[in-house]
Amino acid sequence: MAAGRAGAAPGLTGKLARLLRDPFTVAGLTIYAVLIIVAVFADQLMTHDPGEILFRANGRVASNQPPSAAYLLGTTNLGRDVYSQLIGGSRIALVVGFTAAICVAAFGTLIGLLAGYFGGKLDAILMRLADLALAIPFLPFAIVLAGFSRSSTTNVIVAVVLLLWPNTARVIRAQVLTVKERAYVEAARVTGASDARILFVHVAPNILPLTFLYGSVAIGWAILTEAAVSFVGFGDAKNISWGYMLQDAFVSQALSRGSWHWFVPPGLCIILVVIAGFFIARGAEDVLFPKLRS
Amino acid sequence: MSYLLQRLAHSLVLLWAVVTILFLMFRLMPGNPMAAYISEALNDEQQQLIMAQFGLDRPLHEQYLLYVWNLAQGNLGTSFFRREPVWSIILSALPNTLILTMTGLVLAYAFGILAGAWLATKRGTLAEGILVPMALATRAAPEFWLGMILLTVFAFSLGWLPAGGANSAGMFFDSELHRIFSRDFLLHLILPAVTLALYLQGLPLLLMRSTMLEVLHDEFVTMARIKGLSEWRITLHHAARNALLPVVTAFALGLGATLGGNVVVETVFSWPGLGRLLVTAVSQSDYPLAQGAFFVIAVVLIVLNLVVDVLYGLLDPRVSHGRS
Amino acid sequence: MADQQPVLEIRDLSVEYRTARGVVRAVDGISFSVPKGAILGLVGESGCGKTTVARSITGVLHQSARIAGGELLLHGRDLVSGPPKAWLDARWREISFVPQSAMNSLDPVYRIGSQIEEVLVHRGGKTRAEARARASALFEMVGLNPGRLDEYPHQFSGGMRQRVAIALALALNPSLVIADEPVTALDVIVQRQILDVIRDLQQRLSLSMILVTHDISVVAYLCDQVVVMYAGRVVESGSTREVLEQPRHPYTMGLTNAFPDLESAAHELVPIDGSPPDLSQPLVGCRFQPRCPFSLPVCSSDDPRTEVAETGARFACHRHAESDLLRRHSRDIATWQRPQ
Repeated sequence: MAAGRAGAAPGLTGKLARLLRDPFTVAGLTIYAVLIIVAVFADQLMTHDPGEILFRANGRVASNQPPSAAYLLGTTNLGRDVYSQLIGGSRIALVVGFTAAICVAAFGTLIGLLAGYFGGKLDAILMRLADLALAIPFLPFAIVLAGFSRSSTTNVIVAVVLLLWPNTARVIRAQVLTVKERAYVEAARVTGASDARILFVHVAPNILPLTFLYGSVAIGWAILTEAAVSFVGFGDAKNISWGYMLQDAFVSQALSRGSWHWFVPPGLCIILVVIAGFFIARGAEDVLFPKLRS
Repeated sequence: MSYLLQRLAHSLVLLWAVVTILFLMFRLMPGNPMAAYISEALNDEQQQLIMAQFGLDRPLHEQYLLYVWNLAQGNLGTSFFRREPVWSIILSALPNTLILTMTGLVLAYAFGILAGAWLATKRGTLAEGILVPMALATRAAPEFWLGMILLTVFAFSLGWLPAGGANSAGMFFDSELHRIFSRDFLLHLILPAVTLALYLQGLPLLLMRSTMLEVLHDEFVTMARIKGLSEWRITLHHAARNALLPVVTAFALGLGATLGGNVVVETVFSWPGLGRLLVTAVSQSDYPLAQGAFFVIAVVLIVLNLVVDVLYGLLDPRVSHGRS
Repeated sequence: MADQQPVLEIRDLSVEYRTARGVVRAVDGISFSVPKGAILGLVGESGCGKTTVARSITGVLHQSARIAGGELLLHGRDLVSGPPKAWLDARWREISFVPQSAMNSLDPVYRIGSQIEEVLVHRGGKTRAEARARASALFEMVGLNPGRLDEYPHQFSGGMRQRVAIALALALNPSLVIADEPVTALDVIVQRQILDVIRDLQQRLSLSMILVTHDISVVAYLCDQVVVMYAGRVVESGSTREVLEQPRHPYTMGLTNAFPDLESAAHELVPIDGSPPDLSQPLVGCRFQPRCPFSLPVCSSDDPRTEVAETGARFACHRHAESDLLRRHSRDIATWQRPQ
């Protein structure tokens, strides 16, 4: 702490520099960077159309092929290329993960700001709502929402946002409660600044790091939820996500056939992306909020 | 006592709120909920009759009151698809789910808490270097995928354990209790329970470890050393006992995810529980059954939360014996 | 008292900490002894090593600390070189400890009574029933109502918790009680009450005590003997009366200036300018020299030797022969205010 204060880099810049020296954070950021690059260049990286049924030279469907030069991770029972599906899945993961994370972070932060800053009745109502959202079984809710209204990917994101905002909101609220007692906020109030101005100019910047922290964990949750919803069969068949691949493998007897090359890679990809969020959150927590955990 | 009543009141309010959300969720769902039930062959008049039978022709607020009234009497309606009372379908699935959840939770928390406490005393060792990333990875893994891996290894490759269901086909039992305590049932329980536990143990393990590390620096632990108490007593009786408190809180916060997680684990292992019932009901557009399954899952969650609250009050005197 | 074997004798004790900036010798070759039935005050500024000395007697030091040399003779037997088990056995049975903050030193999740019974049963070999009776007696001894044995630490006030800490320390009738800033965390009125409890019990039970404090008025109020520490060393020691009335070391003179005079010739409080040296750097000469208003060239080149007076008082100052003169100067505020 002393070093951070004494150094030339003030406040956030100094913390950012220390964040980039944390091996966990760097590992997490690297995974995200790879995910983004793969998703952007997916068309170039794919060797086949993920939805296309492939045929062998003898005209028969190239089903259940083991990994080879032609099919890097083998094929599915219907002759689709696993590797290309995996690459294509990164796009869905990216879209689902980041959209949900941004929404959760934004929504949670806004509610936390309002509840913490204005307090009183508004605070009580918002926090009871948060209790309620946490009392609803998460995955069943997502499944019902996605299952009964067909356009699933969007609904998965909606479900994640509806039930995940309270975690962020609670922490942000607690932080706002401490920030709003600080001298410069007091000073701004005395000089007659409006609530909106105090809230967004003076308070919000101080809690932004927390927003990112909870956002990075939400990425993982969203991807896991999408995978689970797809796995139980309410996924969007147009979007071949990692969860969809696992469902496909599961219902197509890939397990009893021992087609490891089919169902292991999507699981590992999900683990990597989710763990990246944990790593970043862990590193950020240590650096930005050394006392947060107590 | 007042603490208990307060928690109870809180739970009841939550229950009412969940019931209301459930009502809105299922009534306001796009599409006519009767679509799956009413065959195209029925004429308008017959359709109206069925609508009336389910109370769907009345205004929304009357439907709501009727719905709450029915629920209060334990009437969850009749399954569209199976034409049986929802309540009896759920009752047959509930024990399986409860047993699976409890076994998974007990295994996970017993292992996680002990391993976490032990790891806190092993800083910088190989055990830490291996177990901590492992715990993180199992927490990041989709639980159904963990289930798929275990299933492939232990059921399909090695053939040690059954691949799915709660009982072997063709088994009959005198009573539910006989069924549950049969060797057959326990063999079927192992894989899904271990899957659930494997997924769940990461949280208590990591949390226990980090709070233990903090508590071990607390002054009362140092004082216990100065008192000359044994390391064993200091670690378990003082440090672990205090480190347990945040774990219990996390346990409560994680219950929603735990029960939800059952849904996919039950699907992987064809475990005849509430989660699988919900999935089937949703895919068959069986609204009353889906609603009933969701309702009971939510109730189980609320009840478990209440139990944890009470437990926490017992563990932390600062909560139950107000501050002076 | 002079012929009697002291309860504890510390000989040339050194304690080192491993830190990011290298090894720091926080306690550097100190010696003193605690006579039977006396209270010895260990006084100095924060960071002078007094708490480290107190903790090293218990044998429970911070992870990064270790005893680098010297002896701790309890009833004439050295704990440092002796078998570890002997030291472990001595904890609480022979040497007990009253911490600064009883709130943090009591386990929040157990009833107070059961925490007292814990040491009685697990360290004192008492049965549950005996322990219960003893806990009640201890509560009465420190002025607490035994009816409150079944309450939790958070239900007690700060002063009551400190009484609990004292009761705990007396549980096994130890030969030596070490109190580390036992009243610092309390407000003034409660401080006085707790000091009176300590004084009363010490006299009634003729306890041998070490009282660690930064507050020389506490020493004046309670202690028979005093050891003044500065930057890891003992600069002066002796009977409280002698050291406080006729300090021979300029640091002690400065300290006694910082509280209302014992002879009630109330004069202004004069703080000592500057701060203690950085112990992670190599030091030559007298450690107080940079802050000393009376320093000579020899002070920055040579370590002062420890001299022993006929009365048994010890002091380590190059100018000890001129102490009467220095003492007179030290009463003048201007002496301590150096032009910057």
